Amino acid sequence: MAATMKLSTLGYAASMLSTGLLDEQFQKLLLLQDGSDPNFVVEIITLFCEDGERTIGELTKQLDKRCVNFDEVADFVHKLEGSSATVGAQRVKNACIQFLEFCKEKSRDGCLKTLDTLRVVFYDVSGKFKAMLQLEQQQAEATK
Amino acid sequence: MMTSFVQGSPVKALIVEDTAVHALILSTILRKFHCEITMAENGNEAVQLFLEGKKFDIIFCDKDMPVMSGPETIEKIRALGESHVKIVGISADYDAQEAFVSAGADVFLPKPMKFDVVGPMIQEVINKKNNSMV
Repeated sequence: MAATMKLSTLGYAASMLSTGLLDEQFQKLLLLQDGSDPNFVVEIITLFCEDGERTIGELTKQLDKRCVNFDEVADFVHKLEGSSATVGAQRVKNACIQFLEFCKEKSRDGCLKTLDTLRVVFYDVSGKFKAMLQLEQQQAEATK
Repeated sequence: MMTSFVQGSPVKALIVEDTAVHALILSTILRKFHCEITMAENGNEAVQLFLEGKKFDIIFCDKDMPVMSGPETIEKIRALGESHVKIVGISADYDAQEAFVSAGADVFLPKPMKFDVVGPMIQEVINKKNNSMV
């Protein structure tokens, strides 16, 4: 357990785990937070959400082009797959895996459909992450 | 995490990684071992550090990066005569192991990384440094 995180925040994370939004990789990340890195989880979640949003924007642009460079699209998806796997964002990772299959097939329709799915699952998890961080911050303010 | 110290100097670690999330996780783990950490966002930056005369005890290198890939970076670093530095190739691509090892990496770590394998690697480098000082 991350000793520096509030119990209510950990409870919020636990509910994300139980619904399959996150997997055990996120629990491993929590263990890295301690007194010497008290803001580690906040920083990781913030970076993941910012990078993910940027990537989805890029994917939208790439797939809007008349001539789609599927290798370039795959590069962006691969990065998001990696970071989502690392933070334990299971559904985002799975959507990326599906996306990469359509990139291999060079299917614009498949990619566009999967991008819609990716957008939904990403904003679901990032929204819940942001709510978790707000809760953590409110708890921190309340105990000052 | 257990830590053990080099008598005199910390382990010099280079992280070659273009994804901020991965770079932060690695640097956080290495900080727990009191490593002196340098970051490079791509292989070209990493090679430049060596050309400037910088020395490292361990390198953690991603595979897919802009400008220069991980395996290419490792080949160039080894070609500079850096045979003693421990190089760890890291990738979500499970097929990357062969490419890394052929290029001269000592170890391959798949992503998502198991955090508890980093500690023994650092300890090994520390032991090597301590033994070389005896």
